[in-house]
Amino acid sequence: MERLGRRGFLTVAAALAATLVVSGCSGEKLEGDSSNNKGAGAVTLKVNFWGDMGLDQLKAKYEAAHPNVKIVLNSGEYNAQHEDLQKKLIAGSGVPDISAVDEGFIIQFRSQADKFVNYLDKGGAEFESRYLPWKWKQSLSTDGKQIGLGTDVGGLAIAYRTDLFQKAGLPTDREAVSKLWTTWDDFINVGKRYTEKTGKKFVDSGTNMFNPVLAQQPAGFYNEQEQLTMDGGPKVAFDTSIKAIQAGISANLVSFQPGWDQGFKKDQFAVLPCPAWMLGHIQKTAPDQKGKWDIATVPGGGGNWGGSFWTVPAAGKNVDAAVDFVKWLVQPEQQIEVFKTVGNLPSQPALYKDPAVLNFKHEFMNNAPTGQIFASTAENLKPQFLGKKNGPTRVAVENVITRVQQGKLKPEDAWAEAVKEAEKVAKSAQN
Amino acid sequence: MSLTQIRPVAQHQSPPPTPGRAKLWLHRFDNKTIPYVLISPFFILFAVFGIFPIIFNGVVAARNWRLDDPDRTGWAGAGNFTRLLQDEDFWNALGNTFGIFILSSVPQLLMALILASLLNRKLRATTWWRIGVLLPYLTPVVASTLVFSVFFNRDSGMANWFLSLVGFGQETPLDWRAEKWSSWIAIATMVNWKWIGYNALLYLSAMQTIPKDVYEAAAVDGAGPWRQLWQITVPMIQPVVVFTVILSTIGGLQLFNEPMMFDENPQSASGGSDHQFQTIAQLIYKVGWKDLDMGYAAAMSWALFLIILIVAGVNTLLTKRIGGDR
Repeated sequence: MERLGRRGFLTVAAALAATLVVSGCSGEKLEGDSSNNKGAGAVTLKVNFWGDMGLDQLKAKYEAAHPNVKIVLNSGEYNAQHEDLQKKLIAGSGVPDISAVDEGFIIQFRSQADKFVNYLDKGGAEFESRYLPWKWKQSLSTDGKQIGLGTDVGGLAIAYRTDLFQKAGLPTDREAVSKLWTTWDDFINVGKRYTEKTGKKFVDSGTNMFNPVLAQQPAGFYNEQEQLTMDGGPKVAFDTSIKAIQAGISANLVSFQPGWDQGFKKDQFAVLPCPAWMLGHIQKTAPDQKGKWDIATVPGGGGNWGGSFWTVPAAGKNVDAAVDFVKWLVQPEQQIEVFKTVGNLPSQPALYKDPAVLNFKHEFMNNAPTGQIFASTAENLKPQFLGKKNGPTRVAVENVITRVQQGKLKPEDAWAEAVKEAEKVAKSAQN
Repeated sequence: MSLTQIRPVAQHQSPPPTPGRAKLWLHRFDNKTIPYVLISPFFILFAVFGIFPIIFNGVVAARNWRLDDPDRTGWAGAGNFTRLLQDEDFWNALGNTFGIFILSSVPQLLMALILASLLNRKLRATTWWRIGVLLPYLTPVVASTLVFSVFFNRDSGMANWFLSLVGFGQETPLDWRAEKWSSWIAIATMVNWKWIGYNALLYLSAMQTIPKDVYEAAAVDGAGPWRQLWQITVPMIQPVVVFTVILSTIGGLQLFNEPMMFDENPQSASGGSDHQFQTIAQLIYKVGWKDLDMGYAAAMSWALFLIILIVAGVNTLLTKRIGGDR
């Protein structure tokens, strides 16, 4: 060692460091290569999604049945996953083999239908009859390509606080409550009675009244020629939400923000438009309110908020294996399995007659038969065409409603403002 | 060895042997080319990740490129830029950005100056004070903005609780996000909280190079501390002031994190229900990734670049004038 001297020592140190770096960098590649060379036709499928879609048990089942397929689950944050998919689609590489896409983003992606596998080319036409008609249409592109096979739907019901209703002298049994509000005007009247009696607000936000009403209308913001049509469905929904705000029954909170979570605990609202996936959120936010919540049907009968689709990006490396896996995932056995483990409602109406769905009682919600209730609301919804700019137009109109709630805009001027903002969004699409 | 053993050097010494050609070439390479090779990694990375995107962005700005309408491509020339001039959302966002920028930079730099002059005196535990003042700068932006976002909540936020202590807003608590003035103050508070310490330390290090005898002479002439601050300290640390003004201009005009997290629905990137605190960077993000209009967003980002250049230049000219004869 003495003979090496300072220079020699430095050389040895540099060589050691270089070896470490080289071995560290190449570690992952070696692993990947060896797993791909396991056997002839060995395939690895990467699945991008968010939250819990019940995939852990399903993955084990599929891998056992198909030994040459390895499934890698990649769960991320809801918005981040969609943005990542968008960026990878632009880049044209690095896409996952299968990507879950939520209802809020499906419009954006179905306009880029050429970047996805068209299920109709892969024998997917047989699935159409199995699905709720409006669900099938949501992921259908304007030139007839089907880029998504639906997995779950939200449905929509109204969750209400039985203890607060009792204090206000309102009935608490869910059948009676559902009869109280068969129309939205009845709903607002019940709200007025509640607020007069207790001095507290009834519903959490005006925008949460706008969206369910809009979803029930035959026509939405855009007609099939992508022209803005504000006077039909949007006007009905807008007037309903403004009426609710003027009646003083809205607590003016924004969903999923800390203020809204606080609102649960402080009894700031007594009802909540509630899709199937919201149940988990209520349980998590207000666990001490177990047994105080129940579910009634939504005024107008039908509704949906949220739901996801399985898509296969065309730039993926194992497109056929991915399509096979997705087709397996949407089979009735798997969808019931998911319902049992995480409570996501399937989007195939035939499954609503399955005993697992029919007889399911939700403990937290006062043993309400949530399977039945959400299923019937999902079935009763008519398909509505959603234009390309549906998302931004909806945000623009919601902002106008928020301004009325904040007291910055008078209700009389609100509709003109909403039309102006919606036209701005529609016009920006023409440029 | 003794002095008598030193021998005189022979007069004729053979010249040193000339090195071979290969060695000469290697020597020249070592001297002239290796320096460039050593600094090239930075420039290569900068060219790939810095210059190329800027140029590509410029090309995209001159094209129509919409993600939701793949058929509508082609050259737009100056079309995106003329659209910019008539877009009221753009001018609104520009106004918001300038308003928040002035509200955040001016008090921030003034308070940093005062804080630095306070720290410049003889204090106990100076290191603790200096670290404490720098702590806000060390917090991740998203984390601190989220906490401030809750702080400014309408129903349960501490800001409204403080206001209620002085009897303001008992029945209808102030909705900080609703108005321009309140949302600007809230966002400016977040930015100021974060950057005052950093700027104060920069000023402090510059102040410590000022010789004490200048202050003593001024004190003899009867100048109070306030006068000393403005007539002596500030002109003598003028280079650092210019530096901080440029940095805060560039940062302030690019505000993105704070308005995004302050929004009640961050994913809409709408900067409030009436775009009351939407900054240009936020608008670029919204147009590019939410409205999926990439060409227009690229044009907007080039406009922002030019605006920052102009404003930073103006600011530099103004602050250079505060320096006396150094």
